[in-house]
Amino acid sequence: MSFDRDARTALADGQLRGALRHATTLFGERRRAAIADVPDWEDARDRARAIKDETLLHLDRYLEQFVANAEGAGARVHWARDAAQACDIIAGIAERRGARTVVKSKSMASEEIRLNAALAARGIAAVETDLGEYIVQLAGEEPSHIVVPAIHKTKGQIAALFAAKLGMEPSDDVTRLAAAARQALRRRFAEADLGVSGVNFAVAETGTILILENEGNARLTTSLPRTHVALMGIEKVIPRFADLEVFLRLLPRSGTGQALTAYQSLLTGTKRQPVDEGPEELHIVLLDNGRSRMLASPVTRQTLACIRCGACLNACPVYRQIGGHAYGSVYPGPIGAVLTPQLLGMGESAELPYASSLCGACRDVCPVKIDIPAVLLHLRAQTVARRASIGTRALLERLAFSAYAAVMARPRLFEWVMGCARAVHIVPPLGAWTKWRDLRPLAPRSFRDEWRAGLHETEGS
Amino acid sequence: MTDSDAARRDILRAIRENLKPRGIAPRSAEPVQSTADPGPAARGSPPGLRPGSVGPVERASPDAVTRFKAQLAAVGAQCTLACGEPDAARALARILTDAGARRVVGSDAPLVQRLLSTLGHDFVRESLDRLSRDDLFACEAGVTTAQWGIAETGTLVLESARERSRLLSLVPPIHVAVLSTRCICESLGDALDRVRQAASHAITFITGPSRTSDIELTLVVGVHGPQTVHVLLLEDV
Repeated sequence: MSFDRDARTALADGQLRGALRHATTLFGERRRAAIADVPDWEDARDRARAIKDETLLHLDRYLEQFVANAEGAGARVHWARDAAQACDIIAGIAERRGARTVVKSKSMASEEIRLNAALAARGIAAVETDLGEYIVQLAGEEPSHIVVPAIHKTKGQIAALFAAKLGMEPSDDVTRLAAAARQALRRRFAEADLGVSGVNFAVAETGTILILENEGNARLTTSLPRTHVALMGIEKVIPRFADLEVFLRLLPRSGTGQALTAYQSLLTGTKRQPVDEGPEELHIVLLDNGRSRMLASPVTRQTLACIRCGACLNACPVYRQIGGHAYGSVYPGPIGAVLTPQLLGMGESAELPYASSLCGACRDVCPVKIDIPAVLLHLRAQTVARRASIGTRALLERLAFSAYAAVMARPRLFEWVMGCARAVHIVPPLGAWTKWRDLRPLAPRSFRDEWRAGLHETEGS
Repeated sequence: MTDSDAARRDILRAIRENLKPRGIAPRSAEPVQSTADPGPAARGSPPGLRPGSVGPVERASPDAVTRFKAQLAAVGAQCTLACGEPDAARALARILTDAGARRVVGSDAPLVQRLLSTLGHDFVRESLDRLSRDDLFACEAGVTTAQWGIAETGTLVLESARERSRLLSLVPPIHVAVLSTRCICESLGDALDRVRQAASHAITFITGPSRTSDIELTLVVGVHGPQTVHVLLLEDV
């Protein structure tokens, strides 16, 4: 149980919990303030979800429409069944273009396919350029939040890291730290032959991809190198250009509490004339990697509506305590707990759907109203069903619940059983449930007895 | 058949298999155009994007201009109002001087070229056409126009079909954008409607300076893009 172990480690880390509390609370407040200004917020959520639902129900045709239009505008589209194929495609493009240095803007999909390691294995250096991702890469760590990857690190730790890796004079001044990263990364941008970005939305009717960001590194990544590779999950497509409006209202407000992030790049194919600015080649890599499987049921399908805002992480009482690393997956928090097992298969991360108290805070803040608790329960049921065929524990559990159901369905039997339990003063052991919780002893008289006695007295007086 | 073609076939088949109704609700009516006709895509021009530009907003309400200026301030952008080109040229020189920018590069927009031509000898004017990547990195200010402003959010909209402004608005630490008050739209939706009609391969929405909160959620401006965004609002005389 690595989640169990890692969660304990995180809980014992006071510095980490302090940083998490600060960050998630601040993001929560900013989000609330940002959506207070939007009178039709609920309506926008419903519209966005309806658009996603419509798209997913016809994903095959929207994808084909997107591809036809993107290719018509000069992009080259590649299809990847899984992570390995996506890495091969991107490494192949880099090799064909003679690229030794690749600059990357933040892309969760590229983390998902472990692109950096795949490129490194082929002798190609991939440099993360988002400040948070850059810090995490320099430290040899993994991102711990979808929106702010280095949320777990203090400026003191970052100062020490930059002193060691960039040779800068140690400084706790955040502005100077950012300036040092800017300078180091400018050199990388100057020499980069290829830029890899993610995609936030892909418009079927125009073949446009849209990338949101705040720093400008995605703009540099997609406009300076000769070649731009955009990696996107197949669920990123939306039908119409005008649909962008509702998603642009929802995503920044939910993610960082901004009305709009500093930059949106809307890219449609390649430059039209040699004199135009921008890359000569645009390659769009469409990644399945388990997504098409999720279409099979309406419960799992809604996972694909996610726009990666990170609001559910900030709202989750579990994430707020343990942070992203304990989840042991690229996608942490509530959305990670439902996405990861579905992408990787239940065998890999069967414990993640249990990393939740099912309180529903994630569902309440989700801008596209994904019922994450319902998906968690669905996945838990699958885990149980898988286990049901094996092991004595599963058999005992099934027997116990059958007995429980039988007793609960029969009032007489229920009273008799409870009477026995009361007489011998025992509470049955409930496994993990009672390991960390005290079950209160049974009251000497049951509520039913009290009720009957009370009624009697009232009637008698 | 290439790997990618095989993957395309497999993925589309997997999508269709998984979407097959399982005796429950049927799939809803078909809202998508038939893909048998790929439409304008096959005819070479970017579909959905009609070439040609659209005219400015008939007359931006004074209210929109006020809201735009308030939103610019809220997102940390500067704003200077100028009446007519001579006034704008003087304002531009003042903005650049105050910011301490000497090496300046302007876009190919005729208005920008006219404004820059009035700058005195205190400035080094780089030419966009002969600019190497290193030269560009050494510039202290980039001057462009913006095709649209969005009052709701204080956003500038730049279209590649209208001007070569993609790098100048991004790489130098100071970005000065000249915007006509007649091109201020009310909302994000209005702006999306307008850019959709111009055949730009790159449309950039800019809201304030480049920013990050990646270290302890402390705001730092100018991390990769400009530290200063100065909007020179041009009122026609």
